[in-house]
Amino acid sequence: MEISDDLGVSLSHEDDFEREIETVFRETLGLIHIALVSHYQLKEQEATELEKDLFVWFRRFCYRPGASIRENRPFLLVACCQFAREYQKYLVGTGVLSSDEKLKLILDREPVDVAHDFSRSLQLFDFRRSDA
Amino acid sequence: MSRGEALMAAHDYLSTPRENRSEQFTKSHLENADTLSGIFAVLKDRGNVAPADVLEEAKVLYEWLSAPQHRVGFFDESDYFRGESALYAGASTRLVGSREETERWLDRAEASFRHTINPAPMLARVAYIRLALRYDTGRYDEVTELIPSLHLTFGKLAMAEEYWKCRFLEGMAFKAMGNLDQAAVAFEDLVSAAQLPVDDGLKGTALINLGNLKSGQGDHEAALRSYSEALPLLKRANRPVALADLKTMVGETLNLLGRKTQAIDAYLEAVADYISIGAATQAAYIQVVLAEALLDAERPREAEWQIAAALPTIEREKMLPEGLAAVVLLKESVRQRNANPKALAEVRHHLQNRA
Repeated sequence: MEISDDLGVSLSHEDDFEREIETVFRETLGLIHIALVSHYQLKEQEATELEKDLFVWFRRFCYRPGASIRENRPFLLVACCQFAREYQKYLVGTGVLSSDEKLKLILDREPVDVAHDFSRSLQLFDFRRSDA
Repeated sequence: MSRGEALMAAHDYLSTPRENRSEQFTKSHLENADTLSGIFAVLKDRGNVAPADVLEEAKVLYEWLSAPQHRVGFFDESDYFRGESALYAGASTRLVGSREETERWLDRAEASFRHTINPAPMLARVAYIRLALRYDTGRYDEVTELIPSLHLTFGKLAMAEEYWKCRFLEGMAFKAMGNLDQAAVAFEDLVSAAQLPVDDGLKGTALINLGNLKSGQGDHEAALRSYSEALPLLKRANRPVALADLKTMVGETLNLLGRKTQAIDAYLEAVADYISIGAATQAAYIQVVLAEALLDAERPREAEWQIAAALPTIEREKMLPEGLAAVVLLKESVRQRNANPKALAEVRHHLQNRA
């Protein structure tokens, strides 16, 4: 019985871990969506597709050592900005999309810097959460 | 794919002999980033049990991931997985003994990890292997100088395993430098594990070293207590190399206590363990130690068997300089069924210094 008991504990630990990933991702999704649509000017459908990929990446990312799931949120934003920038740069470069001044400005910035600005919003969110 | 499914797919891949893996089979497994994560999780567990096998697998993975036509996962994942494969190859190469090759694998790991989104924890893992390599080459003062900073980094990152591995390495370096009190503090720190949880394998290995220190200070009974505490931990953690080392040290301590028959039994078990894990040179060395104990216990025939069994490995693996007089004398004495204790002691002494 020892084996099945251990397995049960490990499965439930894994379930908790996976649930926490989903929770943290969901909490950050609003901000991600704003970054993609308002700042990087992705279309709604493109943003939705990218958000799905981001979740798959984030889930695996959380299994890497060195940070808790919640501590990984700033890295999720970096990945979001990096992917959005590469995507839009590709579309602009191939002539599929024309770039306005606002888009040009954000594409010229390093994704890490853009994500850093968004992280401040996360800190504000955390502050409100702990205050509630 | 759930984590459980990924681990099942990883076992499916790793349990298929490398020569039987078709291109399609390899592609279907390695192109899936979940399966790949599972493969690294399995290899991590195997690192201490079968380093030579992990090295071969890691090399295959690195080569496959480095091919320009192979992209895995999203964003930084190709770089991350390539870094992991190089790190596993580096850590395993170190264990099987090639230092230059280890350095090269670590360079490759760093080059890949630098492109990932959060490189700090991974680069710290590379730094640890580099320090372990300095320990292997006897640069103990460099280890004791540099490891506290890395220890602190792992503490801040809450990476418990690496955190304790650093403390262990520090203890080993102090021990090698003859700074036995500081070594004992490091090992005791690990055994009590007040800060972060420590895994059984590392705790067991710390207990072996603590016992070895006590034995060296003449407190053989305390040493045996440490060893007996280590035994169940190492069994639970499936650390065959450490278990064989433990039996060797138990043999040494019992021998010092004059409990000859028990010492011989412990050495015999250690030899059997080393042979079963393929550590032929270590087995040969312990057979020589065992032969001395057998001669001392007036069991010359058994001593000759052990010497006869050890000599082919000592010669094949060039464990001693070719034509060493003591080896020639020992061989001749065994042939004449009259083992020469002086030649045996000299061979043991040379082997001990070599280790």
